[in-house]
Amino acid sequence: MSREKGYTKKNFLKGLIAENPLFVSILGTCPALATTKSIEAALGMGLLFTVVLICSNILVSLLRKLISEEIRTPAYIVIIATFVTMVKMMTNAFLPELYSTLGVFISLIVVNCIVLGRAEAYASKNNVFDSLIDALGMGIGYTVALLIMAFFREVLGSGMITFGTIFTFIPKFSIPILKCVKDGVVIYDYSIQMFQNPAGAFIVFGLILAVIAFVKNRKAELKAYQEKQEKLKKAEAARLAAAAKANETSGGDK
Amino acid sequence: MSSKKHYIITSITLGLIGAASAGLIGLSNLLTRDRIARNEANKITSGITSIYGEDASVNKEEDISDHKYVNHIYYIYSGETLKGYAFKTSGSNMYGKISLILGFEIEGNLTPFVGLSIVVNEQTYATTLVDNYVTPVNNGQRDLDDVKCGATYGATLIKDMIYEAADVAQAKLTVNNNE
Repeated sequence: MSREKGYTKKNFLKGLIAENPLFVSILGTCPALATTKSIEAALGMGLLFTVVLICSNILVSLLRKLISEEIRTPAYIVIIATFVTMVKMMTNAFLPELYSTLGVFISLIVVNCIVLGRAEAYASKNNVFDSLIDALGMGIGYTVALLIMAFFREVLGSGMITFGTIFTFIPKFSIPILKCVKDGVVIYDYSIQMFQNPAGAFIVFGLILAVIAFVKNRKAELKAYQEKQEKLKKAEAARLAAAAKANETSGGDK
Repeated sequence: MSSKKHYIITSITLGLIGAASAGLIGLSNLLTRDRIARNEANKITSGITSIYGEDASVNKEEDISDHKYVNHIYYIYSGETLKGYAFKTSGSNMYGKISLILGFEIEGNLTPFVGLSIVVNEQTYATTLVDNYVTPVNNGQRDLDDVKCGATYGATLIKDMIYEAADVAQAKLTVNNNE
């Protein structure tokens, strides 16, 4: 089968930007609003999500010729639920802080429409390698989107970025931005606690979507303007050419 | 393909997927169960220490099965003296599971509820519950019955767990006094 040149790169990048599951397709918003209080929690959620997506995409792609049309959805759900259960057990055993922070949202990956959506729309129709690349792109795209949301929420909500509370294998440290605490004494605090609450998550999400929409619209406007300019240039060139031709003809007559 | 053959193949495929899933989950359980049990035991030990202090030791413990939430009692000693009871209580509601260690001190009279430590918290509003209810109740800044906290169902569950543990502690104290 002939393949379009650069397809793998395009397949990977689409999940990051053009078809970003959170910011473009607006999928998986429930865990995005709930688990983006801190950068560490968002990173943990993104990684677990990516692992489940990769494993389920690979298995669905491998079994795509065996699974018949009638049992497609139940079979995919069983496959996804299996990987989610495994990931949940592993997190509970090896990253207990992440497990207790994410709580029920690890189990809820089963019903995340991105995972089932990619299995249905992509992995069931494509080979294992392409499905792996698709899952990798979508997983990283979702993780980056969660991290962007978490950055704004943590900075605005708590005033500082803290590491080492969930991933306890790294030493605990904080980067003060809007809030500074030294030896238990608050030096300054410009944080807005609302951004740590669900309402704050909605506001941050809405603002990010607005910025994306603004950039998209500007790009479209710019493209339309350039096209219009090009058309005008062409029309002008055609008019000048016609005028020159008319001049030539009248000169020849003289 | 005849419809009979189609149905058989479909059933076998689903059956095989189900069996493979069960096998994978079983294998994960085998690999992680010891570690999960060890993590929980560590959390219980650190919970008891955070409630009763470094000098507390568990000299005796027993399982109990006739209560809704309380399922294990630890007898906390300071040297030779019984200092109090720590109860492991587990409960769940539609928002998830929660498991706590609750401490009750004995100083002649029953001083109800000296502290709680979370072992498992799978509640949907886990952090809201901890920030708005568990921590203030633990620090004595919030009344136990004041459950409206943004995670009211979880707080109500914890309140019920504490009351049940208090009843068990009261019964223990009565038995001790009669002896």
